Amino acid sequence: MKMPLSFLLLGLALFQPGTPAAAQALPGDSLYQLDAKVTDQDGNAGHWRDLRGKPRVMSMFYTNCHLMCPLIIENGKAVQKQLTPAERARVEMVMISLDPARDTPQALRDTAQRHRVPTQWRFLQPGVNDARAIASVLDVRYRPRDDGSINHTSVLVLVDADGRVLARSEVSSAIPDPAFVAAVRTALSASASPVH
Amino acid sequence: MYRRLPALLLACLVAPAMAGGPGYVGVPGGSFRSAIRYEESGDARSVAAFALMERAVSNADFARFVERQPQWRRDRVPALFAGPGYLGHWESATGPGAAVAADAPVVQVSWYAADAYCRAQDARLPTFLEWEYAAAADAHRRDARGDQGWQALLLNDATARALDAGDAPPNAYGIHGLHGVAWEWVDDFATLMGDSDKRGADDGDKLKYCGATALAFNDRQHYGVMKRFALLSALQPVNTLGNLGFRCARSQP
Repeated sequence: MKMPLSFLLLGLALFQPGTPAAAQALPGDSLYQLDAKVTDQDGNAGHWRDLRGKPRVMSMFYTNCHLMCPLIIENGKAVQKQLTPAERARVEMVMISLDPARDTPQALRDTAQRHRVPTQWRFLQPGVNDARAIASVLDVRYRPRDDGSINHTSVLVLVDADGRVLARSEVSSAIPDPAFVAAVRTALSASASPVH
Repeated sequence: MYRRLPALLLACLVAPAMAGGPGYVGVPGGSFRSAIRYEESGDARSVAAFALMERAVSNADFARFVERQPQWRRDRVPALFAGPGYLGHWESATGPGAAVAADAPVVQVSWYAADAYCRAQDARLPTFLEWEYAAAADAHRRDARGDQGWQALLLNDATARALDAGDAPPNAYGIHGLHGVAWEWVDDFATLMGDSDKRGADDGDKLKYCGATALAFNDRQHYGVMKRFALLSALQPVNTLGNLGFRCARSQP
């Protein structure tokens, strides 16, 4: 099927799908089986499954969280720092909001700037009813409280290019989990090998 | 006077049943002190009026669903949405077969499948609080929880000896089987962030739960609720169990 070039380019600009894997059937256990919409910090609207194509480290947070969520971001940055520059360029960090009503692209962009995260990081605002579904497949447990804060588990999740979960790291400080860093390295070396 | 009685009786019988559509029973809202202590307070919580299915979703009901939405057949469902045990007790991918009672509650269903079933009915799964509220009733009282003898019987929930196993009478709302042979999924099971090491503690692990505490129990006499909580909070949404089914709910307009 032919698609308009401009449409393809738009997709590339948004989520940079890297490999021709997108043409192949999605594995049954892929997170991208989920039907959900997301908008990034630059206001680009897309589909959750558009993230397919390269390994990613994902986490869920919300911008109005001042204790744990900054630690998740710092932990993610620390994971990246332990990688070589070449490795760093090939794993994308994806931070997904648990509070899509308040975490607009602008709010997400402000948070990204405040924490001085590398420009390749994606901050995503899920569709209105999609935060719950995404949290569910990532096994992030959360509960909105009456005061507007959100109780949630804090975790980094490594997924391969097809959206299969390879490793998880519970975040309790800004110090990265060595086993998780090793898993990221392994995933990158696997995805670097030629596709058969 | 006497002539009007049958009509009144009929109205009483029909009105609650029609509240959420056929097969649903209206449950009036109210103030309810959950056995679960949420961080905000241990005080009573407000439950809005809702409608709950009169009976749990049966094997026959679920077979009709997978016929209409074959992506939920056990041989087609993506592994992301259902574990390997999904509908494993059925004879085939399309139905329970003769060995499984068609009108028995369907079990071995993942949360995703239960959620999809209810959505297809323009309904939703009940919340933990709604379920607890409706299940606080025995056959005569809407809140029977002060009855220690009744509470003790709830320890048999989700076993063959359960209070509502088989053809037991409905509870005071007219709902069957809430204390039956199977546990039931709830919509917000993933928000039940209990912590087995911190039950009853005044403050939980602030880092693990992002500046807040895990849930705790208000009243440890409520064995049935505690068992349900412990079970549901330990589950993953793909999990299936031989004694875990579901029923749907609808919010009242």
